[in-house]
Amino acid sequence: MPDLSTKRVLKIDLNKKEVEMKTFVDLNKYLGGVGLGLKLMEIYHNENPLIFAIGPLNGFFPFVSKTAIVLDDAGSLEDLYLGGSISLRLRFAGIDALVITGKADNKTILDIQNTQVSFLTETVDIQSLGLPGKRSVINYEKNKVLLDDYFTTPENYLEKTFTEKNLQGLVITGTEIYKPDNFEMYQKLYSEMLEKADLSVEKGIYPSCSNCPMGCGKSRVGEISGNVLVNSLVACQFADKMYTDIGIVFSCLNVLGYSYTHEDIENLPKLIEETIRKISL
Amino acid sequence: MPKTLEATQPDQCNGCELCSLEAQRQLKKVGLEESLIRIFRKKGEDPQTVDNSIEIDPRVNMLNIEKISEICPKSVFEVVEKTEE
Repeated sequence: MPDLSTKRVLKIDLNKKEVEMKTFVDLNKYLGGVGLGLKLMEIYHNENPLIFAIGPLNGFFPFVSKTAIVLDDAGSLEDLYLGGSISLRLRFAGIDALVITGKADNKTILDIQNTQVSFLTETVDIQSLGLPGKRSVINYEKNKVLLDDYFTTPENYLEKTFTEKNLQGLVITGTEIYKPDNFEMYQKLYSEMLEKADLSVEKGIYPSCSNCPMGCGKSRVGEISGNVLVNSLVACQFADKMYTDIGIVFSCLNVLGYSYTHEDIENLPKLIEETIRKISL
Repeated sequence: MPKTLEATQPDQCNGCELCSLEAQRQLKKVGLEESLIRIFRKKGEDPQTVDNSIEIDPRVNMLNIEKISEICPKSVFEVVEKTEE
């Protein structure tokens, strides 16, 4: 089982076709995908990174279903939130964030299985890659980046970045297994959260994000910016009420073995503000 | 009579994977490796849709299949009692 006490970052350099698995022991205070993504943007800013990042509850609890995407659009920092299956795949690949730097010489597809990465040409059929049932496919076609042929992000920031990087698509397969020590408590909390289902959307008939039963249809286009704390804990504005009970949040974090304090959560908005300021200098 | 889990309305599946994850939790695992239920996605005929298909490993019938059936938000599954002939 991957170590949850550190942040595991898969860094992919498109220019050099190099891959590095980095383990950060000091980034846990950047709680949530957006916090981690912005801190990684600060660290790798000179390399113009495209960052996909998840938070501590992604993959483990219902409704925590979106992945933060952090990128620099011509000097303007953007945080986008993508629904679908990718947050589960990243978790089950054993990575907290994917950092893609540089620009490929030719249009490139990245085939990622856990921490192994293959650089492939656009002639490869992207749908033939990865392990079915355990993969997410992100494909750039017809001027839009689509995840699993359906989910996407607002505006065209991601499309511009894919174009700049000569990135045609990426496939992520996750095969890691986690076994929380207190599994009975984990199961109990999972069921409680699922039954609570206090969301601001109605159940719909649309494709659903993984680990979310709603099928609301509103997650198709994802989100952009918004409340830092909501984005840090669930990254889904429609599930904000689910995790505003801080006691529940701590129970969920504790059962997974995280050791966050109330101060960590209270300090997060300020920490993110400071990080953005440093990036802007 | 033995009970089996069957996907009687697979066209209703919204791809949430709650069933796969529930089956895994019953085996004290979080993840999709060796999951006894797998969801496959492919592009639907309409660009706004995705077609999901469901593969069930018969070993799932050793688990609490009522609970797996109940967790599905789209009532895709039924627990069927097989009469032995």
